Amino acid sequence: MRISLPFRQHATPRTPLVRALEAAVGSAHVLHLAEDLLAYEYDATIERRRPDAVVFPRSTEEAAACVRIANEHNVPIVPRGSGTGLAGGAVPAQGGLVVVLTRMNRILELDPRDRIAVVQPGVINLALQEACAPHGLLYAPDPSSQRICTLGGNIANNSGGPHTLAHGSTVNHVLGLEVVLPDGRVTWLGARQLDAPGVDLRGLFVGSEGTLGIVTQICVRLVRAPEAVRTMLAIFETIDEATEAVSAIIRRGIIPVALEMLDQEIIRAVEPQLHVGYPLDAGAVLLIEVEGLRETVLEDEAAVIGVCRELHAREVRTAASEDERARLWEGRKGGIGAIGAVSPNFYILDGVVPRTRLPEVMREVMRLSEAAGFRCANIFHAGDGNLHPNIMFDELEPGAIGRVLDLGGQIMRVCVDAGGSITGEHGVGLEKRSYMEWIFGPPDLEAMERVRVAFGGADRFNPCKLLPTGRGCGHAHATELLRHLETPGVYV
Amino acid sequence: MTASLSSDIESVLPMARQRPPAGYPIDGVTPRVAFRPETRDEVAALLQAADATGFTVAPQGSRTTLRLGRPLAAYDVALDLTGLCRVVAHEPEDLTVTVEAGMTLAALQRLLGERGQYLPVDPAPDDRVTVGGLLATARAGAWRGHLPAARDLVLGATVAMPDGALVRSGGRVVKNVSGYDLHRMHTGALGAFGVIVEASFKVAPLPAGRRSFALRCTNLEQASELAFALWDEALPLSALALLSPGAAGMAELPPDPYVLLEAMGNDAIMKRVADAVKVRAVLAHASGGIETDSQPWARLRMAAGGNDSVVLRLGVPASQVSAAIEEAEGAGCTAWGYLAAGAVLASAPTLPPEEVVRLRSYARSLGGFLQVESADASLRADVDPCGEDDALLVRALKAQFDPRGTINRGRWMEAL
Repeated sequence: MRISLPFRQHATPRTPLVRALEAAVGSAHVLHLAEDLLAYEYDATIERRRPDAVVFPRSTEEAAACVRIANEHNVPIVPRGSGTGLAGGAVPAQGGLVVVLTRMNRILELDPRDRIAVVQPGVINLALQEACAPHGLLYAPDPSSQRICTLGGNIANNSGGPHTLAHGSTVNHVLGLEVVLPDGRVTWLGARQLDAPGVDLRGLFVGSEGTLGIVTQICVRLVRAPEAVRTMLAIFETIDEATEAVSAIIRRGIIPVALEMLDQEIIRAVEPQLHVGYPLDAGAVLLIEVEGLRETVLEDEAAVIGVCRELHAREVRTAASEDERARLWEGRKGGIGAIGAVSPNFYILDGVVPRTRLPEVMREVMRLSEAAGFRCANIFHAGDGNLHPNIMFDELEPGAIGRVLDLGGQIMRVCVDAGGSITGEHGVGLEKRSYMEWIFGPPDLEAMERVRVAFGGADRFNPCKLLPTGRGCGHAHATELLRHLETPGVYV
Repeated sequence: MTASLSSDIESVLPMARQRPPAGYPIDGVTPRVAFRPETRDEVAALLQAADATGFTVAPQGSRTTLRLGRPLAAYDVALDLTGLCRVVAHEPEDLTVTVEAGMTLAALQRLLGERGQYLPVDPAPDDRVTVGGLLATARAGAWRGHLPAARDLVLGATVAMPDGALVRSGGRVVKNVSGYDLHRMHTGALGAFGVIVEASFKVAPLPAGRRSFALRCTNLEQASELAFALWDEALPLSALALLSPGAAGMAELPPDPYVLLEAMGNDAIMKRVADAVKVRAVLAHASGGIETDSQPWARLRMAAGGNDSVVLRLGVPASQVSAAIEEAEGAGCTAWGYLAAGAVLASAPTLPPEEVVRLRSYARSLGGFLQVESADASLRADVDPCGEDDALLVRALKAQFDPRGTINRGRWMEAL
């Protein structure tokens, strides 16, 4: 509720930065009052830092103007979409200007014959899917937050999703990008077809977490929707058996389009709320989807069922209708949010290991959690070896947060030691900067820093993100790690 | 000068790594010295020594693809990478492989084939290309658009830099967003920023079978409609090409317009594809779904890498592929195209620069691009072979990674 407006304006006078922004995009599209800035202090993590101003450009020209104005006023720039990031990527770590792209939300072109779409960065992932569906096409990357996350955010994080297993991450589906570079110049990277000539600046930009510029237009490729899909739920007594089955399926040369695991903690959180049909007494379930021609999905389904039975699945069910399939997926995509109902707080991790190491890594994750005295709920992209342990805790318990962060670090270390990575799809952001040194040496990090310098974003564009060093950021260390608390709309 | 160059580099590489420079000409220019190092550290040491002494280095693998990019502005040292050909790690159950950059694609496919796997790429001219060359040139083939390309399959790489550093990016897991994907920056960069010495890939199970069909049409427009109808059927196609009569002749088919397609999969898939081809052919009044062997593909692939001809690649919308083929044929080329990639390849024994410029304008008018895939040095000096980069960004990256222009000087832009 807005109260005593004159007083507030008096308390927070318009700075020259704000006045310049208002002149560029209109005062209705600039926020600068402390109360208004609150919502832009954080993303789906809860590290907070208040920006100096928030601006909502409507066009490429306005976005470029915002960048130039921030440069003139010497303040950092942080691009932002829906704020669903899980690594603190949209937190204005040094204050400055947050550029929110949600007003740039138009699908500019959708050409079913050429199978491309050109969109603005604020278009919601699901909105593009829905626009494609009547043409029998789909935009393959489907992060679990697809109902709310923007395609610009997907570019920034090179987002994955359950169907990454077969279709690849965002970078494999982006043909070209219009971007505003840190100096305010507007350029196109890539093209409207595959394999643009020359240095792949497009491929370098995707996944750069808003440190190299602001995306203002995106050209993506669309793929033909499959003729047939079969979605199975394989029920296991233990996590161990479920993870062994994951490897066994791939070993047989069957590559499902999705291969997801949910453990008992998740099932017990999801089922009472969403009633999707997961058995409460299962140790773990696998959600397995195969697609292709009508004839072949039945063969693939039979093969998957065979492998799961060999690996001691108690039962394998196949969704009998589109409705049933949708419900099985609803449980998966709403799984993380459901944890909020059974635990006051939880901390979401995102690690990757070689798929064959999953069983031993999961045993270690559970052992470490138990030793630390926390329950851990697992819901993840098993086929890709991409773990998402969720450590459940109560922040009111003294010392809990420190112990949770410590456990998170231990689990990340297990992933790295198994030959894996510190992030599969959530990004490095603020949260994992210190872990970068676990997988990269000084020459690697220095080379990455050079990219940032070449793009001109070294100090001012989304500072303190992605790399463990940065002027004025201090050196990342463990105590800087963030808390992931239960917030509405947390997805993986 | 040669003596001093050799002695500088001899101090870091054993004598046994030297090769006769006459074996390494590029665009008719012979380097002063040639080295064939056997470890990544030797590559890094050689680059560092050359960088420190101001000599230029041109990395090369199987030497199948040396007519890309601008002509070199200087060429002192040939860096032969074929001595780096070891398997670093193959994890069949993880569907990942890590190999050194000098390994040929043929050797990699043999290794993977033993475990029923392959790397689904078909670059021009054939599997002689090295893994490093595959990435540095980023050439795709007929499978592009149906299957992922090398740039999609690369999980990480180690790159030797001019300052002697060995820089890693990515990793060996199939999903990874840690840090900048430097390996993507090096993909297609023709060695602009460093020399790839090792790369990791996501691999795939070998398909149960592969079959090709050639459909003879009366004109390209009809061929295009037929190809679109097949593309729209959601069949598991691995390639779908439109061939002009000239291109069909090159592929050793009768000289008529053709739709050439390939499908991968088991017997059930093959039966379905064969039936669909038959039905579509009848509906389109094309002459049957003649099954063919894979030879036409091999010939097209070889032609796309032609080292005795001018080869252009046009990026155009799928719906304009047939029109672009006709446009290129009008300019005196033999042309064929791939619908899913929006790619048209045009080959001619020679081509005046103004025709290349005109075809580039044509492609751009359709929202596309033109890249010179192969041409002699004079044409590549007259016409920017790439033309579509953000030159300022490429220059800034080059200044960061190779400020002295040690690697492939001139390939990207004059003086760089």
